[in-house]
Amino acid sequence: MRLSRKTLGIPYAVFLLLFVAAPLLVLIYFAFTNGSGQFTLANFTGFFTDPNTLGTLFYSLCIAFVTTLVCLLIAYPTAYILARSRFRRSGVLIMLFVLPMWINFTLRITAMKEILTMIEGNLAYWPFLNSVIGMTYDFLPFMILPIYNTIVRLDDSLIEAAKDLGANDRSAFFRVTLPLSAPGILSGIAMVFLPAMTNYVVLDMLYNSTYIMGSLIGSYFSAYNWHGGSMIALILLAIICIFTLLTGGDEEDTRTGGTHL
Amino acid sequence: MKKKRRCQMLALALTAAFLAAPMNAMADGDAANAESATLSAEGTEKTGAASADKKNAAASDGKKVTLRVCNWEEYIDLGDWDEEETIDLESGDIIGENPMVEDFQEWYRDTYGVDVEVEYSTFGTNEDLYNMLTLGDVYDLVCPSEYMFMKLMAEDQLVPLSDAFFDETDENNYYMRGISPYIRKVFEEHEIEGKPWSDFAAGYMWGITGIVYNPEVMSHEEASSWKVLSNPKFKRRVTVKDNVRDSYFAAVGAVKHDLLTSPEFINSPDYAKRLEEEMNDVSPETIQAVQDYLQDVRENAYSFETDSGKADMITGKVVANYQWSGDAVYSLDQAEEDDYILNFAVPEEATNIYFDGWVMLKAGIGEDSEKQHAAEAFINFLSRPDNVIRNMYYIGYTSVIAGGDDPRVFEYCDWCYGAEEDEEEEDVDEAEGEAEDSEEAEVAEADGEAEDEEDGEAADGEEASGTVEYPLGYFFSGDPADEDFILTTDEEQLQRQLGSQYPSEESISRSSIMIYFTAEQNEAINRMWINVRCFNILDVPVWVWILLGTAAVALVAGILGRKQWKKKYYGD
Repeated sequence: MRLSRKTLGIPYAVFLLLFVAAPLLVLIYFAFTNGSGQFTLANFTGFFTDPNTLGTLFYSLCIAFVTTLVCLLIAYPTAYILARSRFRRSGVLIMLFVLPMWINFTLRITAMKEILTMIEGNLAYWPFLNSVIGMTYDFLPFMILPIYNTIVRLDDSLIEAAKDLGANDRSAFFRVTLPLSAPGILSGIAMVFLPAMTNYVVLDMLYNSTYIMGSLIGSYFSAYNWHGGSMIALILLAIICIFTLLTGGDEEDTRTGGTHL
Repeated sequence: MKKKRRCQMLALALTAAFLAAPMNAMADGDAANAESATLSAEGTEKTGAASADKKNAAASDGKKVTLRVCNWEEYIDLGDWDEEETIDLESGDIIGENPMVEDFQEWYRDTYGVDVEVEYSTFGTNEDLYNMLTLGDVYDLVCPSEYMFMKLMAEDQLVPLSDAFFDETDENNYYMRGISPYIRKVFEEHEIEGKPWSDFAAGYMWGITGIVYNPEVMSHEEASSWKVLSNPKFKRRVTVKDNVRDSYFAAVGAVKHDLLTSPEFINSPDYAKRLEEEMNDVSPETIQAVQDYLQDVRENAYSFETDSGKADMITGKVVANYQWSGDAVYSLDQAEEDDYILNFAVPEEATNIYFDGWVMLKAGIGEDSEKQHAAEAFINFLSRPDNVIRNMYYIGYTSVIAGGDDPRVFEYCDWCYGAEEDEEEEDVDEAEGEAEDSEEAEVAEADGEAEDEEDGEAADGEEASGTVEYPLGYFFSGDPADEDFILTTDEEQLQRQLGSQYPSEESISRSSIMIYFTAEQNEAINRMWINVRCFNILDVPVWVWILLGTAAVALVAGILGRKQWKKKYYGD
């Protein structure tokens, strides 16, 4: 039998069908039905009229936004320095940044908790700050890696050309390197922002008693309210879709923008 | 282009997977299940091989019963103890060599001549278990808390215990022969829809709730009230359970503090009944009051914890911790290893008494009488005094079994908490010995209870001060004044492990169970909980909205402006 690309894709297709498409259908079914299996929009309207669920969405967005911003501010310079500098062993260095990912994350957060306790004394006074620190710690490699990968593949001659044409370092960076590394930034953001909205384990472990989207879903499920919980999950999914489409649309522009220079 | 699209799809799928991840985390219990499933699979492999050998020998009864058991995580002895851990009781040594489940399989084969294979799995919370059952997991025997088996009873999901199970003349019916008269009474007196619990449920472990606290920072009085959770003196140094039922109970206790501690209420003739009504009050006013109170608690407490409370208590991050008695024993033990002394207080308003009990499910057992027999035998095997002690030693909770004719459970209690008199201490304390104490102790000895040599010596008129008598008759024989079951113990033990593992009758007198609420009541309580835990969007100040609005306008303007700018410079 000839191994064509199509046959090689079968395992992935099966995976996709079983673990992405099927659960999604179940989710949609539960989200739009009530306890007796009838179609209803009550879960949907309920979400948008309840100040608590909206508040939770707001709070999750805040945490996710700040976490992403902090990650980006740390990750971009790091990735840039690692990729552009002439370290011979930058591969090793990047591995050092990724290394924490090899350790179980609850363990890492527990360690982080002890360190923060030493610094702050009592963690309970700074729940928001601690959550952001914990999430940043947890998600930073997801931001560094894609950015590093795009910058490292950047063609040096483009920057040389920009400089030949009279650009100083600063404008070469802002008008060539930064736009060209945008795809990496965007996928980094997607990898950080969305999980940060739902990763309530970090909040639990760092003593933030406020619910975010993940814990809200959990609380609905443990109260046997599958329908409300599924609706929240679906709304999150919708937010992600919108987000991905928005960022995806911009990609093309930056590419051509860069090559035009 | 096409490639780009594909990348986008991939990113979408990936994020969807990420989204699902926390949900997986929520189903932690399931993961643990899988683990234990593989564990039991290994076990069954072994027994499978063994029975294959047997098959040839006993081809006629090659029948095999499979029993699917689902229990709390870490709620049974897994064996493999060190030699040093042997519990040397008067009536013989007890040590856990093999996992309890394997011992049961062996015992059942030896006793009834039938091979039984136990598929053992675990759950994390009562709600997880219920969800697992609704989602189609089938078990024969499960061990939920009282409110959950009440729910299952009300939903007619359970098989009643057979008549043979209640036959106390059968030697192998360790449960009925050994159950504490006190627990038995509770199980017979509490009903749901006209049926007593005891028809369907056999107790396993029980306990009360209370406050573990650091006596150096907090006085016993301060810790002995649910109001400690909102006490500003301990701001951000107290943890609460992240569990709506437990938090509700504590909050009701605090909200109704004045009523619950008033002499008229305590001395009223139907105190126990009234207490239960008050503590299970779910009227809208109470729910509102509880919500207000819990919002205060949220501002005051260190955190709502699911599992970190014990560790935080032991490491000294917090000074008080709302805890179940079994976990309290664990915390106290652990802290002691670091020479850090913690105490346990039972709140003066009321304490929540809880029971975990074995129930058989219709979905699993059905009409299969062989299976039912095996399930009931499993309960009985766990109730055999030596196994009771193994489990208690291993998990720290208190068994419902008092032992009946078998003295070993009380001996174990004495082994753990009986006053240990060493010579030096005795010499020092001799002068302070109180005549009264020693007299009583002598009576106890005369009655033949102080079987321990050391205790016997101590009782010979040289009773050290600092030891007290702790009557446990209410639990072991049903007679609170029963002199056979008076434990001589160090005074400090009253507020330590002993007071939590075997609460005094006085603590028990203000205990209330928490019943199973109807669907509407549950919904109201859950709504209250969400109100407490969620950030309310109406709390966002106006300036934030203005700021956000400006940012959004700037963003849109920026994007549009950039497009214009690009067109201008690069054209198409």
